[in-house]
Amino acid sequence: MEAHHKTWLKQEALLPADKPRDNPLFIVLAILAFLATLSLLSLKVSYQAAGHWSANLNETATVQIKPDATSDEAALVQMAQSAKDILLKSPNISGVDILPKAHSQALLRPWLGDAPLPDDLPLPTLLHVQLRPGQTLDVARLSSAFTAANLRVDIDNHAHWTKDLNRRARAAQLLAVFAFFLISVAISAACIFAIRAGITAQRKLMDVLHQIGAAPSYTARLFSSRFALGGFKAGCIGALGAFILLFLLSVFSETTGSDNYFIPGFAIGLQDVYLSILIPVFMALVSAVAAWHTVMKTLIAEMYS
Amino acid sequence: MNIPISPPPDNHLSSSGLSFERVSLRYGRDTEILTDVSFTLNQGSLNFVTGPSGAGKTSLLKLMYLHMRPSRGLINVFGHDTALLNRKDIPALKRRMGIVLQEFRLVDHLSVFENVALPLRVSGRPRREYVDDVVSLLQWVGLGERMGAMPQTLSGGEAQRAAIARAVIAKPDILIADEPTGNVDHEIGVRLIRLFSELNRLGTTVIIATHDLALIPDTANVLTLRHGTVIHKEAHRGSSS
Repeated sequence: MEAHHKTWLKQEALLPADKPRDNPLFIVLAILAFLATLSLLSLKVSYQAAGHWSANLNETATVQIKPDATSDEAALVQMAQSAKDILLKSPNISGVDILPKAHSQALLRPWLGDAPLPDDLPLPTLLHVQLRPGQTLDVARLSSAFTAANLRVDIDNHAHWTKDLNRRARAAQLLAVFAFFLISVAISAACIFAIRAGITAQRKLMDVLHQIGAAPSYTARLFSSRFALGGFKAGCIGALGAFILLFLLSVFSETTGSDNYFIPGFAIGLQDVYLSILIPVFMALVSAVAAWHTVMKTLIAEMYS
Repeated sequence: MNIPISPPPDNHLSSSGLSFERVSLRYGRDTEILTDVSFTLNQGSLNFVTGPSGAGKTSLLKLMYLHMRPSRGLINVFGHDTALLNRKDIPALKRRMGIVLQEFRLVDHLSVFENVALPLRVSGRPRREYVDDVVSLLQWVGLGERMGAMPQTLSGGEAQRAAIARAVIAKPDILIADEPTGNVDHEIGVRLIRLFSELNRLGTTVIIATHDLALIPDTANVLTLRHGTVIHKEAHRGSSS
């Protein structure tokens, strides 16, 4: 009998891996996890970008000093300095930078190309105004002060840009949320479909368990733990793949650089890995709940009817 | 009329017994499969349900092992009126029954040992506690050398003995077998009936559906069905009621 003890102590799995049936499901779930992670990280990037845009535009302003036909270089420098002095007197403003002429020229490059600009081309002098956090620009008061100082100035407090960009950012956020929601629904649907197929394949086991008096919750637990583990593994692989891809894109976009002020790069860092961990956990949870619900529904419907 | 069972209990219905009172069964709107079936089986009895194919034997057994509810009438199992049973109570009652079906229903991916141990595993008993019991039972049913075999490699007789071993491993109060000899030759059939009689001698109430009258031992109670009605009840052979 001792020999039998040794032989039979190892317990066989009640619900063993069914590779021909499990592998396609595993691949589908891994792809869904990949897409879900992309969607979730995109959601994070779009929120971050929206915040970045809003903060940048809300807390800055641009003052443009228009040259006239008689203004020479020295007069323009003098006007810029006068404008800066007026601006710095405002308590809402924390700093003012007079931007070099090259900056104005760079702004024309997308329209005029890289060819050298004529020296006598009248270009405005730009002042970058940094506001104190939470403060707004008192445009009316500043305009009066500039008029009094005989300066021809345009003040752009970025309000119209902020409104437009915030609207676009919100649209991008909604799109990411919607995509994430759709992918979540697809994951749930794929799990339910696969579980039904799994139940069909293991119908005999279910019937036997029912015959010998196993509670439906016992059978449901068997299936839900199996599918939860499968969902978690597939989720890990998909999420890791998506994270690595986005992280590399992030590193790549940082090293190549960009002179576009309004489109932030992929701001994915190692600190965002926690978001990727959410996906396999979510997939395990969805798989477990879907399996539990499907098995319980099937068994209870057939039990003593 | 109830089948008199050795020695009758003090109360009409033993908590380990089973009784049907004017039970009828209908599938959907079709003709009744069973009509006004009444009988009582007491603890420790050996009982056979006979009749031609289509007489309603399998349906009667399905009602006994709580696979379906009757359309009419009262079924009492282990002292419980099944009409009042909640679905969550069914598994506990089924664990007090051993069920052997004609098609064996062994789980293909589990060895003979694991198949037989399944009821104990499901009940949550630690494996170390039941290994010896399973080994002993398999040796007793003549499968001592086939414990590690997979069900696909078993002969009909071996598979049937494995199914019977699984049905009795948890020491059920009632053993219900539907045509257990249907897929085996006469010689194995006789040996299986001897096995059931032996289990009965150990105190298990045994109910066997069969159309093979030659297999019924003299000590058994017999219930004969035809067209869904009980046409004959016999308490041990030779003394019909």
